[in-house]
Amino acid sequence: MEPDVSIETSSMIRVAVVPIAGIPPQLFRDYAAMLLRHHTVSLSSISSFYTEHQKSPFSNQPWESGSLRFKFMLGGSPPSPWEDFQSNRKILALIGICHCPSSPDLRSVAAQFAAASKTYSSALVYRCFAFCPGDSQLEEESKLVLFPPADRQTQEFHLQTMVQDIAASLLMEFEKYVLQAESGGTILKTPLDSQATLSSEEVIKAKKRRLGRAQKTIGDYCLLAGSPVDANAHYSTALELARLTGDFFWYAGAMEGSVCALLIDRMGQKDPVLEEEVKYRYKSVIMHYKKSFIQENAQRVSPLSFELEATLKLARFLCRRELAKEVVDLLTAAADGAKSLIDASDRLIVYVEIARLFGLLGYQRKAAFFSRQVAQLYLQQDNKLAAISAMQVLAMTTKAYRVQSRASSEPFNDAGQTHVDGGKMHHHSIVSLFESQWSTLQMVVLREILLSAVRSGDPLAAWSAAARLLRSYYPLITPAGQNGLASALANSAERLPLGTRCGDPALPFIRLHSFPLRSSQMDIVKRNPAREDWWVGSAPTGPFIYTPFSKGESSHSNKQELIWVVGEAVQVLVELANPCGFEVMVDSIYLSVHSENFDAFPVSVNLPPNSSKVITLSGIPTKEGPVAIPGCVVHCFGVITEHFFKDVENQLIGATQGLVLSDPFRSCGAAKLKSVYVPNISVVPPLPLLVSHVVGGDGSVILYEGEIRDVWISLANASTVPVEQAHISLSGKNQDSVVSIDSETLKSALPLNPGAEVMIPVTLKAWQLGMMDLDAAGSKGVPTGKQVKDGSSPMLLIHYAGPVTKSGDAETVSVLPPGRRLVIPLNVCVLRGLSFVKARLLSMEIPAHVGETYPKLVQVKSEGAEKLDSTERQADRFVKIDPYRGSWGLRFLELELSNRTDIIFETSVSVDMEIPDDKESLPLCNCAEFGSPKTRIDRDYTARVLIPLEDFKLPVLDGSFLVKGSQTNGTARGRTSSFSEKSIKAELDASIKNLISRIKVRWQSGRNSSGELNIKDAIQDALQTSVMDVLLPDPLTFGFRLAKTSSDNSVKLDSPKNSDMETNYHVSGGSIVAHEMTPMEVLVRNNTKEIIKIGLNVICKDVAGENCVEGDKATVLWEGVLTGISMEVPPLQEIRHIFSLYFLIPGEYTMLAAAVIDDANEVLRARARANSLDEPIFCRGPPFHVQVNGTS
Amino acid sequence: MASTACFMIVSKNDIPIYEAEVGTVPKKEDAAHQHQFILHAALDIVQDSAWSTSAMFLKGIDRFNDLAVSVYVTAVIHTRLMLLHDSRNDDGIKSFFQEVHELYIKTLLNPLYLPGSRITSSHFDTKVRALARKYL
Repeated sequence: MEPDVSIETSSMIRVAVVPIAGIPPQLFRDYAAMLLRHHTVSLSSISSFYTEHQKSPFSNQPWESGSLRFKFMLGGSPPSPWEDFQSNRKILALIGICHCPSSPDLRSVAAQFAAASKTYSSALVYRCFAFCPGDSQLEEESKLVLFPPADRQTQEFHLQTMVQDIAASLLMEFEKYVLQAESGGTILKTPLDSQATLSSEEVIKAKKRRLGRAQKTIGDYCLLAGSPVDANAHYSTALELARLTGDFFWYAGAMEGSVCALLIDRMGQKDPVLEEEVKYRYKSVIMHYKKSFIQENAQRVSPLSFELEATLKLARFLCRRELAKEVVDLLTAAADGAKSLIDASDRLIVYVEIARLFGLLGYQRKAAFFSRQVAQLYLQQDNKLAAISAMQVLAMTTKAYRVQSRASSEPFNDAGQTHVDGGKMHHHSIVSLFESQWSTLQMVVLREILLSAVRSGDPLAAWSAAARLLRSYYPLITPAGQNGLASALANSAERLPLGTRCGDPALPFIRLHSFPLRSSQMDIVKRNPAREDWWVGSAPTGPFIYTPFSKGESSHSNKQELIWVVGEAVQVLVELANPCGFEVMVDSIYLSVHSENFDAFPVSVNLPPNSSKVITLSGIPTKEGPVAIPGCVVHCFGVITEHFFKDVENQLIGATQGLVLSDPFRSCGAAKLKSVYVPNISVVPPLPLLVSHVVGGDGSVILYEGEIRDVWISLANASTVPVEQAHISLSGKNQDSVVSIDSETLKSALPLNPGAEVMIPVTLKAWQLGMMDLDAAGSKGVPTGKQVKDGSSPMLLIHYAGPVTKSGDAETVSVLPPGRRLVIPLNVCVLRGLSFVKARLLSMEIPAHVGETYPKLVQVKSEGAEKLDSTERQADRFVKIDPYRGSWGLRFLELELSNRTDIIFETSVSVDMEIPDDKESLPLCNCAEFGSPKTRIDRDYTARVLIPLEDFKLPVLDGSFLVKGSQTNGTARGRTSSFSEKSIKAELDASIKNLISRIKVRWQSGRNSSGELNIKDAIQDALQTSVMDVLLPDPLTFGFRLAKTSSDNSVKLDSPKNSDMETNYHVSGGSIVAHEMTPMEVLVRNNTKEIIKIGLNVICKDVAGENCVEGDKATVLWEGVLTGISMEVPPLQEIRHIFSLYFLIPGEYTMLAAAVIDDANEVLRARARANSLDEPIFCRGPPFHVQVNGTS
Repeated sequence: MASTACFMIVSKNDIPIYEAEVGTVPKKEDAAHQHQFILHAALDIVQDSAWSTSAMFLKGIDRFNDLAVSVYVTAVIHTRLMLLHDSRNDDGIKSFFQEVHELYIKTLLNPLYLPGSRITSSHFDTKVRALARKYL
């Protein structure tokens, strides 16, 4: 049996082409390739070489259209025992090829060729072609055909000429042979013919047969000579004779020849009639071959191979899609027949042919099946060459079984990739990816490839097969089998040169995990060329990922875009998985980038059995342009492979669909990962890069609540590009804690050249901790760190950019290099400092002494001011300075502070009075000195701080309030009171706020830090509750004075409003003596704007609180009226009532004035909180002390 | 008499969704592979033949050595029930196919079964093997 047979094979002249004299194989293949192109030589072209020696037996030779066909047998072939039966099996010509430079001695070449030609006894023409002879060789006389060195075209032309010459010689030899055969000289035998001595009857039969056989052979030669008509004539004769003699074998042979002649004659036509004819005749050929089967020598030789060959020839002839069924039947029959073939190599050939024909038919799976049969036959031969063949054959099947090596299926993959890149894959295409998961078959095929590769000593193929097997079918392989494959990989790698690459990845599985966000230090911001503040809108500033307002702008900017900068290292996270039962040592793994503008840094990883790992791969972009990362290059098991993310991704998709065996990552316990969209990465030219650090350490700044501190931030340009623009802004929480940023310093330092550094001072004021923070701090004790994590610290955002364009190109101006954003988190850790417990407003009245000496200055000033403009607010303050209360009503704001920290605090309270320009406010100035005393609060102690409010009480609780209120009621009764109340309230609030804002509680801690306590709210709460009492003056105020000494004084009595009241107290003390008539006067002042009628009573009490004016034991005598003094007090005026007292006993007495208001109006009633109209309204003055000295 | 039979169900994507060695010949690993190889190869022919006939049962459509392949093509989603067998009991095979087809349809009716995915139901497996014993 021979491979590659077809019906036309019978018309081909077999020419052996052999290498002569050590020609290098590569050159031999080259020269032979040149020769092979001349497989068909037209008769017309050889006519010049042809000389008719005698009358040609090929009378009907088509000189115009016919041709001779050659079948070049490279390397020659042994003679076939069947060459008498089919003349086309004979080697009819021998061509030797030699390369002169490699064999200088032409004579020895000639000798070698002569020796070689001995083995080809059937050859009719011998030629030896010598290529590239030297000059000396050219001159030598030899039988060799020398091809002088020339260009390829010339050589080919020469070669063509020589082939035509050979063709002509052969034709002449054929004529000679046919003439000789016709004369009946030769005996034609086949191995089929009985070796036993022939009986007489058989001898006669044999003679008749001989004639038929001779005719068939002549027909063969006619066919070879390219004369189908002649051939057909001889075949017809032969058929007739063979039929008569029952020589079925030769009958079938002649029939085959006749079909071939028919086809040659009708070259190129394929009408159905011809087809039917061929089919019909071949059926009979097959039948007759079958008939010629002789039982007795079946063990030795059998015509079966001819039958199968004929079947295959017919199948090849019919091999078209439309006739698939017939072809399949034929091939199935051939396959059936093959198993009874004696010779294993014949069976091999049959299977090869069947596989090829199925392949031609488009039945890839069938073809693969028979290819695998071929491979198995090869593997049975157990030698290296057979193993190589087996491997190659199996490699061809991999496509049908879908286990092909990546190297051989590259174009397919590429197509898939572009498709997938478009976006989401359709379900259909996912399925198509996992189509034909015949895992059992695939594993078997791969195992066979591995076996054959190992046998044939092809480590790379073995490695690749083992890798594919391991990677795709690890779940189906036992741990022992996995270990075996791992060692197969290792063994193969040992025999491979270092750095071998293989298209098929083994383990581990690699998938893209994520692209870590650029650290906030290096953020890249697209510049908006249209606006000066180009950073606006470039980054989400709010707490929400999506804001409808920014949506419109940013819709065009792809979120998935990633910008890398030349020269700045980047990182990509990938996840590796080793689902197998052995340890995988990845010698190196790095990102594979095909765009050649990226330097990847390899790392090595060790993956324990059944484990997965996320690792960081880094690299540096080197050139601008787009970067695509399709996968990783892995050096593992001694071979370098490229692992594509896409493959694993597809596999994972398949796993979710249940189409793939298993998910390698999940089986390793890796977390489920949403598929990562690979962003478009582009590399931009170098950008400036600012590096910041906080001077004095980057750790968080620990501040107590309210502490103020300056922080220095140093900015350095760490890139090669100067910073030309920079802008500082704030973001994050607690932005108001940044009191000031000296952005001018930065501005003035621009452009910041590479390497330059600038320091920016930032003033921080620690914020108040919220309730939550306090709780957390309280429970944890040490809140450090937590605060930072909370992200409650403010951040400095510095947007900066390099030069706009480097070159002056007009076009590039529009394309701005992006700017950057530097985020400097001001890591402020706020500790709870002094904590506020509560605030209270305390009021205290110190009775005044009835005396004569008063600080006149105050009185005068006050009076003057009052008189000048009583309606003006500012003046009112002074007018209404509470002289008429007759006592020093002292009010304190008491703050209770506790110190839960571990250091000592010292607090000082100050009231910042913004001093009104036109005011000569000595007392006001005095009050500021209140800040001087410091209160020390030890750790874990609570302390109270008193803030005296007296000083600023009057300026605030001025008469204007009351005045306004009374005005409203008095002058414009028609107005709604609600309006006035509102305005009153508003004014009240405003004044309270004003007051509060002036109170500052400063502290200094033991750590030498200082700050301010923010307790405004607390104070406000405290004040609000008692505001009415504090703020509203009584409608009437009373005062006492010694009348006799006041004559030279002003008529008014005023209570001192100095803070140095101690002195006043003493001064006013000692002027009343017992047993003397002491004239006194009581002053009643109307604080409203309407006349008030009152009934005034004056009471004097002794130390025990007994009324000492009236009753049995009165110790004080009096003159004048003390009770029921009715008087009318004009608005904002005062009335004096004089009386005298005679103290019998020295000591301390208290004077009290009280009045019953008649016809009280609404305001008064409201002030007194009277419920009904009938209720009498009392107004009582504060007690005045009288110190009565003894006479002695 | 020991018989060889290998039954497979192949989905329309040419993926085997069920496979069972239902013969009485003692199992051999190699043989099982070979059976699958033959069935896999036969798909090429089934693919063509299925469209040339209206019959669902394609008897002895392919063969290799002594083993013949009979196929039953379901009408709806082009699922192929393939049997590799060495017996010539055509009627039995036909009945077997019909019964398995019914079973398969019941499986399809399961709302949790995704058409085209593997049939992993042990109940199905038991039933198929029982049918094989009955008919083959």
